[in-house]
Amino acid sequence: MVKRKNVSISEDDGESGLINENGKVIFEDKEKKKRIKTKSLYRQPTVNELNRLQETETLFNSNLFRLQVEEILQEVKVKEKVEKRFLQWFTDFKNHLDSIPTDDTEYDLTEHTLTKKIKVKLPISEELKKTKCVFKFHKFETVDIVGSYALGCAINSKLVVDLQITVPSQTYTKNDSINYRYHKKRAAYLAYIASYLSKSDIIVDLNYSFINGCETKPILILKPAGKLQNHLSVRINLVCDTDTFKLHRFSPKRNNLRQSWLFSTTESEETDSPTPYYNSSILYDVTALNNEKLLRDTLLNSENLKQAVVLLKIWLRQRNIPISGQIVNNIVVYYVQTKRVNNIMSSYQIVRNIWIALKTSEWDKKGISLCKAADATPSLEEFHQNFPIVFIDSTGYYNICWQICKGTYYALKRECALAVEMLDNVKINSFIPLFMTPVKMLMKFDHILRFKNMELLKTSVLDKVSKDDKLNYGLDRLMLVTDTVYSLLAKGLGDRVHLILQMVEADFTWPVKKVLSAAKTDSCYEEKLAFGLILNKDNALNPVEKGPPANLPEALEFRAFWGDKSELRRFQDGSITETCVWEGEATAERRGITKQIINYLMDLKYGVKGSDLFHVMDQLDSVLVRKQYAGESSAHCEEACLDVLRAFDELRRDLRQLTELPLDISAVYGTSSVFSYSRPVPPVARPAPRQPYRRAGACLLKQASRRDGLPSLPHYTPVSRAVIELGHSGKWPGDIEAFRCLKAAFHLQISDRLTEQYSLITHAYPSHVDVLKNGLVFRLAIAHPKEITLLKREIENGVVKHKDSEESARLQRDTQLMPRLRGALHGLHQKYPAFGPTACLFKRWLSSHLLSPPHFPSVTAELMAATVFLHPQPFTPPTQPTIGLFRVLRLLAATDWTSEVFVLDFNDDLTREQITELEQAARADPRGRSVCIVTAQEREVGLACEPGPPPPALRRAQALAASALAYLENSLLNEFNDNLLPMFVPSLSEYDVQIVLHPSLVPEWAERVCAPPRRRPPTPHVGDELIPVVDFHPVLTYLDDLRSAYGDFAVFFHDLYGGEVIAVLWKPDVDEYEDFQALNANALIPETVDGETRYKVNKEAIIEDFRILGQGLVKSVNVL
Amino acid sequence: MKATKRTHDFKALALKLNDDSSCPHYIYFKEHSVREHTKDKPAGRTIFIVNVPPYADEKGLTNAFSEAGPISSVKLCIKPNTMEDDIPKFISEKQKKSFQVAYLVFEKVSALDRALQLSELKPLNSESYRIKTGIQKWIEEFNKEILQPKTLKENIEAFMKKYDSETAKEKKKEKKLEQEDDEGWVTVTKGGKIQSFARTEKVENKILEKEEKNKKRKELKNFYTFQIRESKMKHIVMLRQKFEEDKKKIAQIKQSRRFKPF
Repeated sequence: MVKRKNVSISEDDGESGLINENGKVIFEDKEKKKRIKTKSLYRQPTVNELNRLQETETLFNSNLFRLQVEEILQEVKVKEKVEKRFLQWFTDFKNHLDSIPTDDTEYDLTEHTLTKKIKVKLPISEELKKTKCVFKFHKFETVDIVGSYALGCAINSKLVVDLQITVPSQTYTKNDSINYRYHKKRAAYLAYIASYLSKSDIIVDLNYSFINGCETKPILILKPAGKLQNHLSVRINLVCDTDTFKLHRFSPKRNNLRQSWLFSTTESEETDSPTPYYNSSILYDVTALNNEKLLRDTLLNSENLKQAVVLLKIWLRQRNIPISGQIVNNIVVYYVQTKRVNNIMSSYQIVRNIWIALKTSEWDKKGISLCKAADATPSLEEFHQNFPIVFIDSTGYYNICWQICKGTYYALKRECALAVEMLDNVKINSFIPLFMTPVKMLMKFDHILRFKNMELLKTSVLDKVSKDDKLNYGLDRLMLVTDTVYSLLAKGLGDRVHLILQMVEADFTWPVKKVLSAAKTDSCYEEKLAFGLILNKDNALNPVEKGPPANLPEALEFRAFWGDKSELRRFQDGSITETCVWEGEATAERRGITKQIINYLMDLKYGVKGSDLFHVMDQLDSVLVRKQYAGESSAHCEEACLDVLRAFDELRRDLRQLTELPLDISAVYGTSSVFSYSRPVPPVARPAPRQPYRRAGACLLKQASRRDGLPSLPHYTPVSRAVIELGHSGKWPGDIEAFRCLKAAFHLQISDRLTEQYSLITHAYPSHVDVLKNGLVFRLAIAHPKEITLLKREIENGVVKHKDSEESARLQRDTQLMPRLRGALHGLHQKYPAFGPTACLFKRWLSSHLLSPPHFPSVTAELMAATVFLHPQPFTPPTQPTIGLFRVLRLLAATDWTSEVFVLDFNDDLTREQITELEQAARADPRGRSVCIVTAQEREVGLACEPGPPPPALRRAQALAASALAYLENSLLNEFNDNLLPMFVPSLSEYDVQIVLHPSLVPEWAERVCAPPRRRPPTPHVGDELIPVVDFHPVLTYLDDLRSAYGDFAVFFHDLYGGEVIAVLWKPDVDEYEDFQALNANALIPETVDGETRYKVNKEAIIEDFRILGQGLVKSVNVL
Repeated sequence: MKATKRTHDFKALALKLNDDSSCPHYIYFKEHSVREHTKDKPAGRTIFIVNVPPYADEKGLTNAFSEAGPISSVKLCIKPNTMEDDIPKFISEKQKKSFQVAYLVFEKVSALDRALQLSELKPLNSESYRIKTGIQKWIEEFNKEILQPKTLKENIEAFMKKYDSETAKEKKKEKKLEQEDDEGWVTVTKGGKIQSFARTEKVENKILEKEEKNKKRKELKNFYTFQIRESKMKHIVMLRQKFEEDKKKIAQIKQSRRFKPF
């Protein structure tokens, strides 16, 4: 009832507020009330508000999305202040240009008369010298602002304002379109303007550059003087009047560049092949005015369309797809014309519709056109024959996408598909990956191909391409090379890849007073070309490339393409086909097949050797190989894990078939990380110990010492843990100790039965039973939910209550959560075979920086790796472990772990509500999670996962990850550095004390990252005789002692995988004086300060204790 | 003030492991005096020691205090406690290394005074006894864990026998309670004939839930006009709430400089 009253009052208020706008004084006290009421959630909604609330549901994805869109648009908008200043500057600039003097002299451009006079060099390459033409400067009429800035859809960062000067048509003659005469005159015109501008004082940094890397089309780049230069730069482009040339001269089938000119031959052939590419470079200028007008007409007054353009541009720029803003504008205009989008739609709807349209477009086969009058213009087929991608402008002659490679277009389509997928995925906030996350090259691709020697590549490829192609591309050789290599890769890799994208870095600017070639050598300019591949995980690892059957004519073509690699093979199904077979037995080796193919093809086709190529893909695979077994197939982590899994499956079957047990075994689950392929150094079967002391099935340790006085210890053998679930029974005792005793009895019985029924070597302990199978030791323990309940039980006022204790939480994690989680992670590895190795690499990396558990729990590390595969946005799940590691590092470094929550839904069966519930539960976890990654499994058994690393360790890991990424980017993308192992070298200088251990006593010492692989083959495992000494890890035992005894004073760090140093860091308050209390007197030493006895921590004695506790293991203790 | 006063009760002396140890820990000890003395810590003969280093053991402490006089027992524990042994455990917990406290009982009262007068302690290690630490100790512990199946079986049987007899005793006791007492009262227990529900949290919650449900079932929800109006309002409120929440989220993201795309 109270609520209703509120409503009626606020209604009154609203009306009176409206009517009495000038009568505020009367309502002053009411105003106050009103403000309070507007905050109430139960106020009467206004029409506006209702509309807005409903709109967001229909027109935008969600409230959040809409608000974010608004924010980002605000952020990238050009500031009003800048706009004002620029307008002022532009007026000055225009006035200045208007006063450019006319010049009636005619210059012969083959001589230096012009350059001598204007004292500015022509922005043109040496090769155009042979083009003869006469130039005369005619004054232009206006300077216009064009492009994004003029339309109002510019992006604030790296803002470039496009100015356009229309060259009067009398500058060119009818035949200037031929043999680069047009380009040369254009360059001269530009130089003339440049020379005039160079004297102006409202301009700084006057430079030449090229449009889109097209070497024959120079432009001017300059910065306005004053404060404005921090905000923007200005680009001056020259275009020509629409009536300068007849458009049909440039239709795709026409030739405008003669062979005789390009190859400097004298005989002129009658049939010069068409030069669509060259034609387009002129058409760009001829059609510019028309196209600009169309953009203006459609976009200028359509606010929502403009917002959509800005969003699309942000999205593209984050993805580094080389599609210019101009093309984006044209795409939007096209879809407005075809009525797929209109200005009434919200920007979100426009963007979404365009993505959906682009996703299904086929510009490589069915091009699109803005031209309405289709009668006289060349047909679409004509364009398709001559261009890879077709998007025709309003005149019907110019292909807007003339410079777009197939790779770029496919990348665009793929990104559109991904974008729509992200929008439809209600489980994530798609805005961040769509617009906010930069998609870096190193993260995006599974395999990057780089060229060490660009000049060599260019010459060897140009040697092999046809004359027609050369003629078509003219002087734009880089483009020709890129296209040629692209089509080779596309053909060679076929369905092994989802995408091949070329990445060209050829932007070059140089001062107007310098000659182009000189400027290039001065600034060590180098063109950079790289190809990024996204692999198809289903096909990329296939070692056999099956061709057509031998009797078909296609076989000949196949053979011609693959050369000697292709051979006739007969398959099991009886077919005989041409086939290429690549090397690779282990999965890890097969991941390198794409590299093999590329190396082979580049050598076969262009004679470019593998040593001139640089692949970013498998640099860290060596870390995944067990050094002691190098050369064996079981050396690879994955294969060794697979051996364990196989043995475990057999054991599992045996266990289920055990008879004569009081309760049947209903299930057996593995819990160790080896069962999800994520144990970096997996166990390998070893020969039985020699002359052992034995007690039943187990082996005892000997108190023996070696010749050098050190104790001799057996090889470290890890165990693989699993839990056993028994059939239901109500007879378990209700007392925890009796329960455990009964469990021990079961362990004993299982051990007996296994020995009797399957003659396996076993040994029972009170808490578990060890079983030897195929030389591998499995540690089985019975799990029963009642044990957890018993541990939780507490009696309060006669009522039995259940409360979580540390012990019960641990038991719950080990017996309920981990079996399920391990199963899910195993499934994840089956789906994405790169998961296991990625997790291994990440754990190795963490550990190598001394952040092994408990500083960084291994489950947290595994879940982080899983996050990369389950929440890959904006990327797709990686297929190479090395790339996987980069992604995990990025995730670790770039995520704000205090606020972000990831829900891992392995089977994709949670609803949105369940996910939100889990998110909230994880945030509210009473143990306080530092890393919020919750799994669907935790919904079933309760939040039992480890709460993650302590915050200081997490911060350190994040800092290390950030610097590792910087290092990787530099060595892989700037240098050609194949050895990335330095990223595994820790810095020990920041610690206070170092405890150095005897290397020979450190388990897995031979497996260090820097250890050399052993060449001697290990003794093979013969038969199961005796369980070796298992799980005896002196270093971990020592660390346990140290942590429990001195955890209050210091923190201990160690590399789990063969680290011979324990680094110690004192806690920050260790040097402070403390009060003496009987309960808190640990490690205190009395000290007399100013006649008073005070107490502080006895650091020296503790350091001495390190030696005492680690007697035999510790080599030396160094205080730094 | 209190703290300093208490410290003066304690006597601090360096406790070396060997004769040549250079940086020893200091142990603090005094006469053990509490209101109720137990049998194993008799008054007048017991000293209470704190800050005993993790590696020290009973025999080592006996060595250290050997000059004061013959020692009858040493008891080491993690925390000072007056309680006697608690419930027997089947799997004894592994003792974690840490600083300890000790109760050292001399045979004679005079030895205690002498101990409090000591100016120096003997090292823990004597010629006849050396404390095992490091690898040697770990090997010993490891081997101790491995039992013959026969021994394990015996342990289990012994424990279960004890447990069974104890539960039988308990049952008897309960049976006894079940009988009417002098005034005619009967105590309701788990095993008795009289049916009752278990007094656990779960059962209590269940009962409460059931009641709530019953209450809800009787209610009409979409009947009166005001109810319909209110449900509409609720929808709007929900939308608003979501809007507010999202706004908050944005503010948060904004704060963490997240809206600069480049």
